[in-house]
Amino acid sequence: MANVISDETMEYVGILAKLELSKEEQEAAKKDMERMLDYIDKLNELDTTGVEPMSHVFPVHNVFREDVVANGDDRDNMLKNAPACKDGAYKVPRTVE
Amino acid sequence: MRITEWTAVELGKKIKAGEVTAVDAAKAVLAQIRAVEKDVHAYVTLLDEETILKKAAEVQEKIEKGELKGPLAGVPVAIKDNMCTEGIRTTCSSKILFNFEPAYTAEAVLNLEKAGAVIIGKTNMDEFAMGSTTETSAYGVTRNPWNLEHVPGGSSGGSCAAVAAGECSFALGSDTGGSIRQPSSFCGVTGLKPTYGTVSRYGLIAYGSSLDQIGPVAKDVTDCAAILEAIASYDKKDSTSVKREDYDFTSALVDDVKGMKIGIPGDYLGEGLDPEVKDAILAAAKALEAKGAIVEEFDLSLVEYAIPAYYVIACAEASSNLARFDGVKYGYRAKDYEGLHNMYKKSRSEGFGEEVKRRIMLGSFVLSSGYYDAYYLKALRTKALIKQAFDKAFAKYDVILGPAAPNTAPKLGSSLSDPLKMYLGDIYTISVNLAGLPGMTVPCGKDSRGLPIGLQLIGDCFQEKKIIRAAYAFEQTRSYEAPEIAKAAEGEAK
Amino acid sequence: MSKQYETVIGLEVHVELATKTKIFCACSTAFGGAPNTHTCPVCTGMPGSLPVLNRQVVEYALAVGLATNCQINQYCKFDRKNYFYPDNPQNYQISQLYLPICHDGGVEIETASGKKTIGIHEIHMEEDAGKLIHDEWEDCSLVDYNRSGVPLIEIVSEPDMRSAEEVIAYLEKLRQTIQYLGASDCKLQEGSMRADVNLSVREVGSEKFGTRTEMKNINSFKAIAHAIEGERARQIELLEAGRKVIQETRRWDDNKESSFAMRSKEDAQDYRYFPDPDLTPVIISDEWIAEVKARQPELRSEKLARYKKEFDIPDYDADIITGSKKLADLFEAATAICKKPKKVSNWLMVETLRLLKENSMEPEDITFAPENLAKLVDLADAGTVNSSVAKEVFEHVFKENVDPEAYIEEHGLKTVNDEGALREVIEKIVAENPQSVEDYRGGKKKAIGFLVGQTMKAMKGKADPGSVNKILKEILEG
Repeated sequence: MANVISDETMEYVGILAKLELSKEEQEAAKKDMERMLDYIDKLNELDTTGVEPMSHVFPVHNVFREDVVANGDDRDNMLKNAPACKDGAYKVPRTVE
Repeated sequence: MRITEWTAVELGKKIKAGEVTAVDAAKAVLAQIRAVEKDVHAYVTLLDEETILKKAAEVQEKIEKGELKGPLAGVPVAIKDNMCTEGIRTTCSSKILFNFEPAYTAEAVLNLEKAGAVIIGKTNMDEFAMGSTTETSAYGVTRNPWNLEHVPGGSSGGSCAAVAAGECSFALGSDTGGSIRQPSSFCGVTGLKPTYGTVSRYGLIAYGSSLDQIGPVAKDVTDCAAILEAIASYDKKDSTSVKREDYDFTSALVDDVKGMKIGIPGDYLGEGLDPEVKDAILAAAKALEAKGAIVEEFDLSLVEYAIPAYYVIACAEASSNLARFDGVKYGYRAKDYEGLHNMYKKSRSEGFGEEVKRRIMLGSFVLSSGYYDAYYLKALRTKALIKQAFDKAFAKYDVILGPAAPNTAPKLGSSLSDPLKMYLGDIYTISVNLAGLPGMTVPCGKDSRGLPIGLQLIGDCFQEKKIIRAAYAFEQTRSYEAPEIAKAAEGEAK
Repeated sequence: MSKQYETVIGLEVHVELATKTKIFCACSTAFGGAPNTHTCPVCTGMPGSLPVLNRQVVEYALAVGLATNCQINQYCKFDRKNYFYPDNPQNYQISQLYLPICHDGGVEIETASGKKTIGIHEIHMEEDAGKLIHDEWEDCSLVDYNRSGVPLIEIVSEPDMRSAEEVIAYLEKLRQTIQYLGASDCKLQEGSMRADVNLSVREVGSEKFGTRTEMKNINSFKAIAHAIEGERARQIELLEAGRKVIQETRRWDDNKESSFAMRSKEDAQDYRYFPDPDLTPVIISDEWIAEVKARQPELRSEKLARYKKEFDIPDYDADIITGSKKLADLFEAATAICKKPKKVSNWLMVETLRLLKENSMEPEDITFAPENLAKLVDLADAGTVNSSVAKEVFEHVFKENVDPEAYIEEHGLKTVNDEGALREVIEKIVAENPQSVEDYRGGKKKAIGFLVGQTMKAMKGKADPGSVNKILKEILEG
């Protein structure tokens, strides 16, 4: 079955992903996404009933750190790449809640 | 032979023996870069000559004092530009990180520095490792050293091209869906993608976290084994790092495959495979058979489901991994914006290239409300089945043999117009990442246009030694061939 | 209002755990550092950095889960919650959605209407966000990641509460339990305990829940009560007007005593949760659970029972003191030194509670050492200072944690026990106040009070009132 993606869906995904596509880009992206989804739908041919979703390939578990402070003040190093900063903090457009 | 034609291990030996110095090696590579980089464009960032030579001199001193004894001491290396290097610009070939200088160095790179390797620069790649041609880089394409009209493959195209063109002795690449093995195949070099968890991902800028793995790109199997030995480590900073029982990969450099069981998936030889590639692969299998290996065809199954499962998983993870690039903490921020969300959108839309945006959109969609089960969980279930198929195969075979890519390097500009077709080129490499397996590409011939063909060897989890042994044995049947361009630089012959 | 409405409330309580380091990196969780001085590549979301789980976070979450009668998911995992906001450096929060560490528990609360069990739906572990400071001079906000990555547990209740009183009783119960476990100091004002209130109303007798709203940003018990009343009234007003309650997140503003919607187009509330590929599952063995259980400290009810048995103090005092882990710790430590439980209890119940109230402080904010309280109890008991001076000294113990002995010495506050000197002063007072003397001798015994007062004034309070009375009587009657 061919997937049809609406403009609304594209805009919605744009909000989720914080991407703003131009009209042409959006048209192209929509077509690409439809084709990809058609292709991904191939997975539906597979019977996966009873198969556990596998996120980790190996059964590694309980990887812990002990609760010991090992980091000092590294502020300048962290901030040196910031596009804008002020008073030792990252500067962003005013946020309103 | 000239310094830039030696393998990393050969060069390391000669440095240790006092025949050449680390500074000679760095100078030779720099001369080669001066001669060919304008054509190849393997690097995004080159360290300045002074820094490189100073570092080489320091390393040389330590070698002479006996403080550095490893096989890679004094050997020039190139690092793929998605690995953090403290104070050295790291861009992922993206505009969004155009000025990013990490505050720390990736664990794998630190391991190399400890081994005395001398960093030359950061290599070009597909933006955020998304692509198979190195054409999605924001910093221009890299050209295939065998034929400058062709792509080097990707995403570690810069690393593979740099090794092939003699612009470094070896390089590090990363492999999420074939990004070491496919460009190695296209550039006629040897590349190894280790078992997931073998090399620390700390400092590797993530694309698909459950699939990403750093690995060596070099001129031969011996180099790959020695480099892997140097970079592999159990790292407590990477929770997915695996504490292995064996790290002595060079012990597998044995020219003996007698009795080794090698399976060729029939599903890897079917429709879509270039006949010239197929012939070269089957010839390689014959060569191994002649050395006493037991080779047979078998049905791996599920091959056609690996690509859709991969794109769902990798894009979903990428959509989340790449969310941090937002113009707040580092990298590109749009010039004009109104308010926070507009700043996010503009910075990201201007900072990311088309392919990256495409994958972020797809990944966000498959995780969004109402689609998670149908796409993401379905893909994870498929992944489980693919792993089972490999488990079944490895119950019977020591090594799986096949092509690394359906064809040789395509011409520049011929791939990006049809993304889906480009994705299909990953068919032989992708399932290895889904199952966390080690895989390796070794050159096994050239097509009628003179472009290299790579043979892929796949092992069961933690069985790098088996594929190294098979690759090494195969390598003994032929000699390393470098492209003409690798002989370009003048004046430093020894 | 013709119809009768019932309020249905569920809480999401966030508690900052008392670990030394953050949940996924070795940065300090200490309060009060200059902006971004407790940050590293992990908690600022630097490319390539990776999280590693702090074992102590699991321990604390387990301890809280067990103490609140929860089932433990012995196989639990972390998921990413994806949303963009500058206080969230990765633009995803590592949390637990699919397999949280604890589920299906509950605690018993007691209110005027009796005992009741409030169900706990789940407890999950997650990381805190950074802090946004709105700049006063420029049209911008500043981000401080010192709190980014501080470990939290989120305790999600069932919608079992019906009034502000029950909500506060539930929060008090959680706070006590968690403080007793040492898992957090649970200070509402500093934000180490925060509650989001999910509230809906329905007609009494209705089985169906109404549409709920979620209120965030409530940081005191008083504000919680206000917010509940305010939101209940708002929803009822909507329904009475024939309008609908919209499911939304609202922000409570305690100054304006009203809430407002936080929704925007850019805030899609579609968090695209998926298992974090950078973290491995946590497997909690039976042995681990047994260990945490074995280490569980004496909880409130056990302590209360013990106090009633062990110390001769009023039940009411025992109830108040054990109601705060901090007060109980102070009580036990001071009593251990001076062996005077009743007196220690008095100081806590009267002066300490008074000063806390006057300074709008919580018991957890107390900074004085039990040694100093014990010393003061002994000094007052020995008559070294009289009770009013002792109260004065205590204020300094409370505020500056002074050593009472040194303080009394330094300020010359010791009670004067030199009878000769005291008698001299009293004789002078008697001579100066013939009217009072006459009144007393004429049968107005109360007049002695004035003379005592004058004497104490002259002595600058440093006389023992008993001695003053005795000498006065001797002079007046002798």
